[in-house]
Amino acid sequence: MALSGMRGLSVFISDIRNCHNKEQERLRVDKELGNIRTRFKNEKGLSPYEKKKYVWKMLYIYMLGYDVDFGHMETVSLISAPKYPEKQVGYIVTSCLLNENNDFLRMVINTVRNDIIGRNETFQCLALTMVGNIGGKEFSESLAPDVQKLLISSSCRPVVRKKAALCLLRLYRKNPDVVNIDGWADRMAQLLDERDLGVLTSVMSLFVSLVSNNAEAYWNCLPKCVRILERLARNQDIPQEYTYYGIPSPWLQVKTMRALQYFPTIEDPNARRALFEVLQRILMGTDVVKNVNKNNASHAVLFEALALVMHLDAEKEMMSQCVALLGKFIAVREPNIRYLGLENMTRMLLVTDVQDIIKRHQAQIITSLKDPDISIRRRALDLLYGMCDVTNAKEIVEELLQYLNTAEFAMREELSLKAAILAEKFAPDLSWYVDVILQLIDKAGDFVSDDIWYRVVQFVTNNEDLQSYAAAKAREYLDKPALHETMVKVSAYLLGEYGHLLARRPGSSPKELFAIINDKLPTVSTSTVAILLSTYAKILMHTQPPDAGLQQQILTIFKKYESYIDVEIQQRAVEYFELSRKGPALADVLAEMPKFPERESALLKKAEDAEIDTAEQSAIKLRSQQQTSSALVVADHPPANGSAPPANHLTLVKMPSQNVSEIQESGATYEEVPNPPIEVPKENGTPVEVESKATNITEINNEINVEPPSTSRSTSPADLLADLLGPLAIEGPPAIEQHPAQGLDANQSPVGDLALATLEDQSNAVQPIVNVEEKFHILCTKDSGVLYEDPHIQIGLKAEWRAHHGRLVLFLGNKNTSPLMSVRALILPPSHLKMELSSVPDTIPPRAQVQVPLEVANLRASRDVAVLDFSYNFGAALVDAKLRLPVVLNKFLQPITLTPEEFFPQWKALTVHSLKVQEVVKGVKPMPLAEIANLFMSLHLAVAPGLDNNSNNLVACTTFFSEATRAMLCLIRVETDPQDRTQLRLTVASGDQYLTFELKEFIKEHLIDIPRTQAAPRPAPIQPQLPAVAPATYNDPAAAMLAGLL
Amino acid sequence: MIQAVMVISTQAKPRLLKFYNFQPPEKHQDLVRSVFQLLSARPDSVSNFVEVDSIFGPGTKMVYKHLATLYFVFVFDSSENELAMLDLVQVFVETLDRCFKNVCELDIVFNFNKSHAMRLDDNSLEGEGPRTLVNHIKQDCRSSSRVTWSPTFRSCVSSCYDDSDVLLTSHSCLAPINLMQMHTILDEMILGGQVIETSSEEIMKSVEEIARLEKQSSTTSLIPKSISERFSR
Repeated sequence: MALSGMRGLSVFISDIRNCHNKEQERLRVDKELGNIRTRFKNEKGLSPYEKKKYVWKMLYIYMLGYDVDFGHMETVSLISAPKYPEKQVGYIVTSCLLNENNDFLRMVINTVRNDIIGRNETFQCLALTMVGNIGGKEFSESLAPDVQKLLISSSCRPVVRKKAALCLLRLYRKNPDVVNIDGWADRMAQLLDERDLGVLTSVMSLFVSLVSNNAEAYWNCLPKCVRILERLARNQDIPQEYTYYGIPSPWLQVKTMRALQYFPTIEDPNARRALFEVLQRILMGTDVVKNVNKNNASHAVLFEALALVMHLDAEKEMMSQCVALLGKFIAVREPNIRYLGLENMTRMLLVTDVQDIIKRHQAQIITSLKDPDISIRRRALDLLYGMCDVTNAKEIVEELLQYLNTAEFAMREELSLKAAILAEKFAPDLSWYVDVILQLIDKAGDFVSDDIWYRVVQFVTNNEDLQSYAAAKAREYLDKPALHETMVKVSAYLLGEYGHLLARRPGSSPKELFAIINDKLPTVSTSTVAILLSTYAKILMHTQPPDAGLQQQILTIFKKYESYIDVEIQQRAVEYFELSRKGPALADVLAEMPKFPERESALLKKAEDAEIDTAEQSAIKLRSQQQTSSALVVADHPPANGSAPPANHLTLVKMPSQNVSEIQESGATYEEVPNPPIEVPKENGTPVEVESKATNITEINNEINVEPPSTSRSTSPADLLADLLGPLAIEGPPAIEQHPAQGLDANQSPVGDLALATLEDQSNAVQPIVNVEEKFHILCTKDSGVLYEDPHIQIGLKAEWRAHHGRLVLFLGNKNTSPLMSVRALILPPSHLKMELSSVPDTIPPRAQVQVPLEVANLRASRDVAVLDFSYNFGAALVDAKLRLPVVLNKFLQPITLTPEEFFPQWKALTVHSLKVQEVVKGVKPMPLAEIANLFMSLHLAVAPGLDNNSNNLVACTTFFSEATRAMLCLIRVETDPQDRTQLRLTVASGDQYLTFELKEFIKEHLIDIPRTQAAPRPAPIQPQLPAVAPATYNDPAAAMLAGLL
Repeated sequence: MIQAVMVISTQAKPRLLKFYNFQPPEKHQDLVRSVFQLLSARPDSVSNFVEVDSIFGPGTKMVYKHLATLYFVFVFDSSENELAMLDLVQVFVETLDRCFKNVCELDIVFNFNKSHAMRLDDNSLEGEGPRTLVNHIKQDCRSSSRVTWSPTFRSCVSSCYDDSDVLLTSHSCLAPINLMQMHTILDEMILGGQVIETSSEEIMKSVEEIARLEKQSSTTSLIPKSISERFSR
């Protein structure tokens, strides 16, 4: 062969191979690179043959992992060589070495084009291959017509045409405009008549890509695909070389079936019948044979057929046949088939109603969890996770916990997360949940994220029945010799809160509890030390009658940590020390934690996020897209079928009175709720300092203490259900809203709330089970979360903002096992917003989630709010909800940081009265400056520290985007009066007077503390006929509580 | 779409790398290393599929075949059928096998890596006679139970017992051909991440044609205007 004559290259390669270590290899490579470099420098002396030789060497060196950053020019220039060998090397090496954005590539576009339109087929092939591999947008623009011509030309050889097909595919991906849909539908249909299987395979790849982007346009090709499939399945006219181990081109069969999965359904009865005949034949006619390769090939076809059957929603009979097959596969010896069996079963879960049949294979699936192959174990884990529901949760989660003992590290994190999620979603009872999580922490502490243990604390706090149980469990774990630090944290926390409930049990006297917890103190990290200190303080408080010895011990520890290097711990130690000498006052301050407001699980959020990340354009997922017009049905989580929707939503309206009595009752025994900031003992202990410490929220507080306590809702299993159905779980609201010591309604922005607190028709039988208003406010500063939820449906929302455009996606999740009918959604946009809602499917299938995109464009500044009029039929009842959409002014703001040099000229330039507006705002919620800064931050106003010399003032900048103003710089200054925090002077400046006014009002709304019951509702733009205001106000727990306290 | 094709020796040396999504060269070795780590940890008789989301991005998988001392690895995304990819690996291997029978059948599976690996990585073998080397290879053939030998390949192995000189004389000078041939074969089989030809015969025809063209051009500078005749069946 010609190349064997390349002596120098051979010698070089064998030199490299003879190198004994990496160092030698590097030396040899460097020497060679130096050599090539000098040779290239005086290029004139190089013959094409030599050039070719050096380029080969470069490729070899490149492949060894060395950076070859020169010689690209020489490589590319070989493409223009007249002789085949040089040209070939040029093309091959170019497509290995360069990427599509390389400048040198641009230089050869013309040469490449000449090769493509030239008569020489070999050159055509080379050029098409290179463009097909690395062609970029520029190639796409200049070569597409020529490539198309080659593809449809009847005079071209198959070898050229198949390359042209894939080359066109590449160009199409780089620039979809190169394929004109109208013209191509017919051409494609012709191309699919191709007899040559090689060409057909390439054409099918191109077709799959076109169809995946726009199935509608290619309806006419559908029967052709079925015919191709028939031809292959019946082995009609298939040349010998295209049968692979006796099977007519498995690749083409697979590709064709893939293409069919992009069509929503097959309506033509003839095509449908023919297709099902073929599928039936494949399903029935595939046996496991001895020859591995033959087996692989036949099962490749079979699994694709399964996917197609699932997609087509075949008759029940055929479905159960598929499940039966899969059941067989997951038990066979051949690992590949087992793997795919599990994978396809997981897909099947998402698509059809066959869960019950799949559950029959549970034992076998659990066995696969012990398979020697990690790939199979992962699939089994996924499947178990997917098939878990209330009926089998206990069994599956316990199996996962057991597996945790032996699982390799690579899987533990996923495993523990999944176990925690399943336990939370499907817990048959809460004590079991606590058991599971504690076991989880014990077995895989390193892999248990903080979210998991925070969550268990929330549950225990909110469920009184659970408290002594959990404390006892925690106590048991503390006896273990080696304890993970997370376990120390959670045990210490639980025992601090509820340890006194165990006082009569052996080994659980305060003294003993202290001793056993204190044992851990020397070995734990600072964050845990902080928790332990709080625990000590609580133990001390609960010790009745006081135990002088214990007190002394604890005080010694506090004393010791008073000078600790970590500020957080130091502060706790000092404060607890002082507090513990106050005697009875201690009990007030360190009272039990209030219940947590119901909140979406951060864990579930995490899981959902992960799912979204991996959602890709596979046929399986895409298929659903067509099912419901432009909406997308994604994996639904099987809800806990058994539990009824929570009943407590009905009590929402009655809340105030209930609250009062509750408070009165509890007040008699111990302060459970009334004084809000119990959670932050030190702040309470030193009330004078409260404000200055506002930002000093400790780590644990940060996590747990977020919203004003709400007594109205205890977390029942049914709430859990509500929780788990959320597609986008919400964590606590952002920092500004959370300071419980300051005004209870920190959570509410004043104006307009009342208008839509509950906009439902009062006659509605179905009431929301979330506080719609509160959700709206959360969403005003966050971009994803739940907008509305009632027993039948949950509406989640996710938003992305870019300049004055926004894209929202509404997630309509049907929580029921029956479909929701006559679903209607109508947007009532205010005049300043242009909104376009994609069509909403009429029916939401059981337990499915539908995504409806909503495009928003902001025309100008305004504080008006868009309303979503949403209705559906459940059974006979019509449910209608009018929901405000959180498309508010601050969504179109982008914080910007300015230097003093940039800021002051702007500030001074804006002198016109209407562009720069100043107002003294009274009745402001008293907040320290830092908190105002936080508030601003959440409104996308970038606070610029240091711009104003006066430390009582605050300056912020932002950019506002709208169609009218484009990007408009806005400057804000707040001057506060340290003597009177209820008033401040607000100055807003921008280049647009309308914007200035609206922004000022907007900020004012967020600063002002309007007593909710008195607020005159700003007439909502679309909703003048609002229901009575009074009941609405009580929907807000904080306001209700205020009412209760008064 | 197929994202990458890799041939990696059991000594973690890349023998062929081809990425259909551009990967910056400095990343290549990392990719090879992480792929190799995954592969080398897998025992025999497990499935041929590995999820590689952490290496190549979400939804990606790879199939591999472990033949003698080489791993043949295809990385692809969810738009491809796993078993079909595995079949494709088999086609690739079979084609390489056929392609090199004229030069030296053992070339791709042995010379390119095995003899090399032995001489370099096992110093104790240095200076030992050819017989020992062949014995080692024989042993290796037996021990790698997962190899599915094609008929041609089996005959090669048997021939190597008798004629060890072929093996030893040919291995050092064949590498460049391998490199180019492998690239050519791959280009005939996969284009831009899509399967272009699945028939081993068809691929062979193209490859032979290219070889013929090369030979021709080294003797004469004339390039045939049309090469249609090579595809006449």
